[in-house]
Amino acid sequence: MLKIKNLHAKVGDNEILKGLNLDVKPGEIHAIMGPNGSGKSTLAAVLAGREAYEVTDGMVELDGTDLLDLEASDRAREGVFLAFQYPIEIPGVSNLNFMKAAVNAKRAHQGQPPIKAKDFLAKVKECSSLVELDGRLSERSVNEGFSGGEKKRNEIFQMAILEPKLCILDETDSGLDIDALRVVSKGVNAMRSPDRAFIVITHYQRLLDHIIPDFVHVLSNGIIVKSGGKELALELEAKGYDWIKEEQNA
Amino acid sequence: MTVLTEIFKSTLPPPTRKSERWKYSPIAKLLNSTLSTDSSEIDSGFSNDIPPNPVAGLEAYRLVFRNGTFDSSLSDLPVAKGVICMPLSEVSAEDAPEFKNTYSKTEWVGELNESYQQDGMFLKIARNIKLDRPVLIHHLTDGKDVASFPRHFVRVEEGGEVDVVVWSSASKNSSGMYNGILEASIAPNSTLMLEKICNEDGEIYHFSHENIIQERDSKFKMHTFTVKGHWVRNELEIISRGKGTDSIFNGAFLPTGNEHVDNHTTMDHTSTDGTSSELYRGIMYGTSTGVFNGKVFVRPDAQRTNAFQQNTNIVADRGASINAKPELEIYADDVKCAHGCTVGQFDLDALFYLKSRGIDEKAAKALLVEAFLADVISNVPSTELREEIMKIYTERHGW
Repeated sequence: MLKIKNLHAKVGDNEILKGLNLDVKPGEIHAIMGPNGSGKSTLAAVLAGREAYEVTDGMVELDGTDLLDLEASDRAREGVFLAFQYPIEIPGVSNLNFMKAAVNAKRAHQGQPPIKAKDFLAKVKECSSLVELDGRLSERSVNEGFSGGEKKRNEIFQMAILEPKLCILDETDSGLDIDALRVVSKGVNAMRSPDRAFIVITHYQRLLDHIIPDFVHVLSNGIIVKSGGKELALELEAKGYDWIKEEQNA
Repeated sequence: MTVLTEIFKSTLPPPTRKSERWKYSPIAKLLNSTLSTDSSEIDSGFSNDIPPNPVAGLEAYRLVFRNGTFDSSLSDLPVAKGVICMPLSEVSAEDAPEFKNTYSKTEWVGELNESYQQDGMFLKIARNIKLDRPVLIHHLTDGKDVASFPRHFVRVEEGGEVDVVVWSSASKNSSGMYNGILEASIAPNSTLMLEKICNEDGEIYHFSHENIIQERDSKFKMHTFTVKGHWVRNELEIISRGKGTDSIFNGAFLPTGNEHVDNHTTMDHTSTDGTSSELYRGIMYGTSTGVFNGKVFVRPDAQRTNAFQQNTNIVADRGASINAKPELEIYADDVKCAHGCTVGQFDLDALFYLKSRGIDEKAAKALLVEAFLADVISNVPSTELREEIMKIYTERHGW
């Protein structure tokens, strides 16, 4: 589904990704871990199409479509979804209007007519109950005055509404208490399907207790230095990252 | 027809950039033109492309002026107990209002208006009368090098309430000057709502000045929308003369091309326990230029005043600019005055967030603009007017 080859990216003069390779197949969950500053969030931003990041080399394909050629909005319509580490507050734009515009943008892209009001509201109801998001929150301005947990649940709510092919979760567990972590994970697990893939970026093994990955990758200094199964996360939790660096240097 | 050859020889000198109030709104080009007033009969209809009622669906009483001349056939005056509404030219000598404001004695623009004064609306709302529909004044400028000088007078007696809409339009290829003054006095416990919309094609120098005097416990609520206009200067002066007045005045402007929009406001608190709330928002596109100047005076006797002022501007394109200046002069010690003034760009983080959900850049910006304007526009009393303004903005900017 997603093929990343030799990806190089920089912000300003600072090269952050230095030849990253990753292959994600439908139905898989890939966890990406790694020390601070290793390039995890940069990878998420580059995949979603953030303009501040400049790709200097390499390729990214989603089901054969060159993503790097597309604007952020077109990537989203092709099925890429980024759950933000720090969701943005947009006063004055209602969460529901926002989602409706997004759903209809995708439908137009697929040659479908705008969603019927009734169907949309049913979808909203279903998705907000999935992440236990208070109905009133879905009617308020996007993320405005939401608590940290509510913002993250709103990300998963949006993900559920938009039904993307590729979900990228950028430190969705940061700032969550245990209950919120459980709710968010439940939402993600409910969305697992043979056609959908996840890239879960996290610092902590605890998220992976709830969202069980098929693969764990360690990103360090802009490349993936080690890959393994879910047990790699446990090993990292116990031993930190230094042993990998030593292994690299050896 | 009066050719205004003497126009620039008025007693007061035309403003120049040397004066602070006019520094960013030069009128040199206007001063080089030869303008005339137009008193011709309205025979060939009002306008080819502008309907007498510019707001579809708005049920309002209507006074229509073409180049400053009242058109009774297109107007629909209210006939109701306690309401006097007629063109100023038809008011008898003994009922004629006494214009009190000093604008015509101190400013070139005001003096011109007084010298060449044409017609206008005379509206008096008697005690405890609430007019059932808004009164819409529609002013059309139609022709080359036309100058028009309307002057309106509104008096709301105790407990009365009225909503007045002043809409100015101009047909394509029109040019000249619109110089309009509205003077209102609002008696104790009465309410005046005023919406002023400039939606002019052509190249008009548009000067409009409102002078509002508020008595004890009266309410004034105004919205100023510059929807379209080549060169527009909105001046609003509110004087709170009694205790406990409430003044709300909001505005929005979204100039594009090489348009110029200037908003000068003055809120003068002279008595105790008054509140005022001012919110002006602008988005500057193209190579447009803008000015915001908001003065708030709190005089020594105006204790317990609560004044709020906010001016937020987005400069959307590289060639656009705005000069914004809040001015607060506070001479009382037990007051609350908050103000904020910003000039910025579209929030790139918000834009990316919207785009990351599949909304393209244009639609994402439209959502942000709508949100930006919501606080200003949502307070407009009439839904039809609100929708019409948004419709024109949408069509203009291609959202």
